[in-house]
Order: sequence, then structure tokens, then C-alpha cells
Amino acid sequence: MRALRALSLANLKSFVRDRAALFWTLAFPIVFVILFGTIFAGGGAQYQLAWVDQDGSATAAALRAAFEANAPVELKDGTFEESKSRMLRGDVDGILVIPKGLSAVIDAAHAGQHPDPIEVTVVTDPSRSNTSLAIQQIATGLVMAANLQLSGASPLLTVRPDALQTQQLNGVSFFVPSILAMALMQLGVFASIPLVQQREKLILKRLNATPLPRWALVGSNVAVRLVIAAVQTALILGIGIALLGVKVVGDPLPIAGFVILGALTFTSIGYVIASFARTEEAANGITSVVQFPLMFLSGIFFPLEVLPDWLRSVATLMPLTYLGDALRQTMVGGAPFMPLPVDAAVLGGWLVVTLGISARFFRWQ
Amino acid sequence: MLGRPGQDAVITVDDVFKAYGDVKAVDGVSFQVSKGEIFGLLGPNGAGKTTTMEMIEGLHAPDSGAIHVLGMDVRHAATAIKNRVGVQLQTAALYPQLTVTELLSLFGTFYARHQPVERLLEDLELGEKRNAQTKNLSGGQRQRLSVALALVNDPEVVFLDEPTTGLDPAARHGLWTVVRRLKGEGRTILMTTHYMEEAEALCDRLAIMDHGRILDSGTAEELIGRRFRERGVHFRRAGAPDQEKLQALPAVSRVVYEEDEVVLFTSDVPATIAALLELTSRAGTEPADLMIRRASLEDVFLELTGRALRD
Repeated sequence: MRALRALSLANLKSFVRDRAALFWTLAFPIVFVILFGTIFAGGGAQYQLAWVDQDGSATAAALRAAFEANAPVELKDGTFEESKSRMLRGDVDGILVIPKGLSAVIDAAHAGQHPDPIEVTVVTDPSRSNTSLAIQQIATGLVMAANLQLSGASPLLTVRPDALQTQQLNGVSFFVPSILAMALMQLGVFASIPLVQQREKLILKRLNATPLPRWALVGSNVAVRLVIAAVQTALILGIGIALLGVKVVGDPLPIAGFVILGALTFTSIGYVIASFARTEEAANGITSVVQFPLMFLSGIFFPLEVLPDWLRSVATLMPLTYLGDALRQTMVGGAPFMPLPVDAAVLGGWLVVTLGISARFFRWQ
Repeated sequence: MLGRPGQDAVITVDDVFKAYGDVKAVDGVSFQVSKGEIFGLLGPNGAGKTTTMEMIEGLHAPDSGAIHVLGMDVRHAATAIKNRVGVQLQTAALYPQLTVTELLSLFGTFYARHQPVERLLEDLELGEKRNAQTKNLSGGQRQRLSVALALVNDPEVVFLDEPTTGLDPAARHGLWTVVRRLKGEGRTILMTTHYMEEAEALCDRLAIMDHGRILDSGTAEELIGRRFRERGVHFRRAGAPDQEKLQALPAVSRVVYEEDEVVLFTSDVPATIAALLELTSRAGTEPADLMIRRASLEDVFLELTGRALRD
């Protein structure tokens, strides 16, 4: 036990003193969290719209005020030409054109006449389908509301927005567990590299010439990975909570359990890589190749439902899918893909199988 | 007379074979090392010295044959043996980011008993570098540290694999002093080397290896004496007596003229020299630059393998 503690401490010191390794292990997930946080921050997106008022009437101004107050938009006034160049520059997401004669039509309607309807033009960019759709919906909603109000009829049907989620789950809350899962996966598979290094430099052989038992050697490597995993978890969660408003609602115990199980499973996959990589270069190569399918064929960055069938069946085999799912459930109360015991069983299964493979094929020298 | 192998054998290697694929790295090796002696495995790179030594250290299993260290079979008592021996590997790197002191303390935790770090630092003159990370050590310092690591557990048997390879002469002689002190402390030492002068300077007994086999073993004296009974009496050619007179001196078998030297090959050095001095004093002169030379291990290796050791 004394040797295990001393060797763990030595490995940890080596890791901390290796600035490059330290930077990549700790900075990378942080950069990821902040990046995703900025993309998904704020929940409901705020759209920048150009407001082209060709009518110039008091009615148009009232419509503008009502629109700005009720929709998640910020309006920028200008002529159609100005607005077009703004949109091309990316300053605005779309253009709303209030045509000349709008007030005349409304006045006529108020006077009891039946004038021809007048068109409010919405210009959007179809290459940004989400934004485009959202703006069209907002504009349609605006026009419908105006129609109703002008016609004086009372609405018969309304929509009450609701979400089927037990907790408030904004975009960041969805992604923080995914990033944590990804960080744990990388931490684990990259365990192969120092291991192969130590074998190549005959450090493992030198240790093997001492009475140090092998379980202590393996144990110290795993212990260091777990310590780093704990630090990464604290950093990612800390930033998520402090800067991005992520709400962690789960019990700390199951969260810690899945963090440890995930770190163990992926470290074991790292040992499998180290079993077959003879050189450090080979280990680097295999690790990069392995981590991409592990990452992108799992359901951590997009819902599995959007994948084609064959890809979805691949994803349901990937351990990261289950770690992401388990962390999402336990941390932010995300909707389950699988029940937690299934997540634990799949991760545990990967752990046992990869441990068996490394026990069979790992070479110390 | 040195202790012959027998009851007090600390290492016994008995008909050991080891092959890697088609390559017979060790091809039927047997020898014994007695308590308190320095035993050297001498041979060129690839002779099987390191493989032999690493099998004794328990790092590789032999394909066949038996190895006992301190009376224990390496196949069954590897951990018990490892606790009582110290190992210095030829090319092993160290944790580059740990300091000298940290590394010595770390290795101390691996053993049932260990020496104080301070003593190791002092014995191997590493005190000034105690807080240096090992990646910043010079070649000689690194080699001394690697020997210090082999001594952490105060071992009864020390294995040194090419301990002075790559060192400058000063560092090499410094390490020889350390090895002699280890012997003085009663430890048994098994070392490999491909330096003749190192083998002659340090080793009580030697085994000469080539192509995985031991070609001959014994003390340097014995190895040389078995092949080269005669010694050479060298002196300057200028002013030397005539060849017939030299040839007639007692015990002289041949007279050979080299560039500016005469060499008398003799089976009885004192008789030959006494007669030589009498001959020259009668002529009122004396032999200039008189020297007695015996054959070296280099000559033995050449004789055994038909080629020089350092090709």
C-alpha cells in the first residue's frame, strides 16, 4: 500500500510537472465548455431583425412597438437597401418590410370596408434553416395577432407553450454532462500514451526488476487517472454552474459513481490500446483514430433520433453513449435514453471485456 | 586463492537456453558466482550477456535450464529474490520529471528494507544534485543514480549491465571505485562489459561470451595462462646482443624483432632476464626500456573467436 501511494504520488507529480500534458488535460475541456456555453447560452435566442417601414404611419410605429415588446427580437430601422447590405454582412438575421399603404388598409377596415389584404414581406436566409424558420414563425405570429386585433374577433384557440422535462434544461445543461463524458473518455484512452512511453523507455522493465507487485503499478496509474478525472469534473461543473447557469439537481453519489465507472472503463480501453501499440507514435495514432468514433458515434453531441438507423445501432454499442446518458440523467435530470442500471451494466461490461483483453495482451517490456 | 564455486554459490546458472524466434540469444549457458566476488560476463554486443543477466534478474523466463539466486529458484521465488538483489539496467530511463531524492525515496517504498536516501546520495556523490530533475542530469550522474537505485534495498547481490558504457575515463574510474567499495562491503556482483580493461581491473572471475555461448571462464590470469604460457621480454633493439646469443639464453623459445624492439618469448621470465643482464653487463651495457608483457584478454578473445572484440 505504501508503494501504491508513493507511486501514485510520483505519477501525479510527473503529470503536473509535464506542462503540456497538464494543459491539454485541463484546458481542453474548459475551452469546450466555454465554447458550447457561448453557443447555447441564454436559452431563447435573440434575433436581430431589420425593420423597413415604408408606410411611415402612426399605425406602423404602434405595430413596431408591440412587436418589439412581445417577440424575442431586436429591431434595426433602415431602408430596404440598407437592410439588405446589413443582412449580407451578417448584422441582422432577417428583414421585415412594412409596405406603403398599410395604414390605409387598416383605416379602411376600421371604416367597415373590405380592402384587399396587403403583404408584409419577411426576408430570411434559407441556408440558416433554424433561424429562418424561427423568424418566419415570429412574423406570422405577429401578423395573425394584428389580424385578430384589427378584426375585433376574440381568439377561440390559443397555444400554451410547455415542455415535457422534469427540470429546466437549457442547451448548456444538456451539453455540460456531454463534455464531462467526453473529457473522461479522452482522459482514459490517452492513458495509453504515458504507459507506452514508460514501456519504451524501459521504466516498466526497471520497475519489474523490483519486488513492486504489478497490481500496485496498474493501481497507481488508475489512481492518478481518477484524481485527474475528479479535478476535470470539478472544473467543468464549476464553470458550468458559475458562468453558464447550469443547474445540477442530482444526488452527488450516483454522479460520482458514474464519473468513476466511466474513468475506469475508458482507462481500461486505454490499456487495450497500450497492449497493441508498440511505439509511442503508434499509441498516439491509434488513440486519435479510436477516440473519434467513440465520440461521434455516440449520442453525446446530438440526439440519437437524428441518426440514420445503421448509425444508431452503432451508437447503441458505444460506451460513451451510456456514460453521457447516465451523467445527463444524474446531473441535470435529462430525459433517459436508457434506465440508469442499463447504463451502468453496459459500462461495466465494456470494463470487464477490455480488462480481460489487456490482461491477456499487455506486455511490460 | 579466490573462493571456488560450490557451497557458497550465490548465483547458479545451469544449462540455460533462450531463443527469440530463430535467434538463439542464449545457447546453453552454465556458470556459478560465489559470495563476495565480482563476476564479469565479457563479450561483444549481441553475445547474450544482457539476456543471460536479465533471466537471472527474473525479467525473462528461460526456455529451459535452471537458475538459482541466493539458493532460490527464480521461477518460483522471483519476489523474494528481487527484495534481496539490486538491478542496474543498461538502457532504462528514469521518471524524467522526478528529482534524484524523490526517485530514491520512491524506490525505497518498493522494498521490505531500504537504505537512508542520504547515505546513497553521499556514497554516489549525488548530494549536489539531490533536487535536480533526472532529465537534467549528465550522463555520468545519471549512471551513478542508476547504480544508486540498484543499492536502495542494501542488496546482497548487485547486477550491473554495462555500467560504464558511454562514460568518459574520469567518470568510468569513479564508477570502478564504487564497484570495488561494493565488493568491500561484502556484496556479490555480476556485471557485463565489453571493455577488456574494465574486466581486468574489476572482475575476480570472467566468462567470455559470444553467440550465446560461454567460450571460456576463469580468472583473467587463468584465461590468458591457458593459451599463452610464455611471456614476452621486450627491450630496445639498438645496442642489443646478437641473435644467436639471445636465442641461447635459458628458457627462450623464439626471438622476434619488431620495429625498434626485440622480444624474447620465454617460459621462465626470471631465468631469462638474469641471463640477459649478465650478457649485457659483460659487454658493459644494459638493456634499454626493459619490459615484461603477458598476453591480454584481447589476445584471448582473438584466439577464441578469430576476431577482435571491438569490431
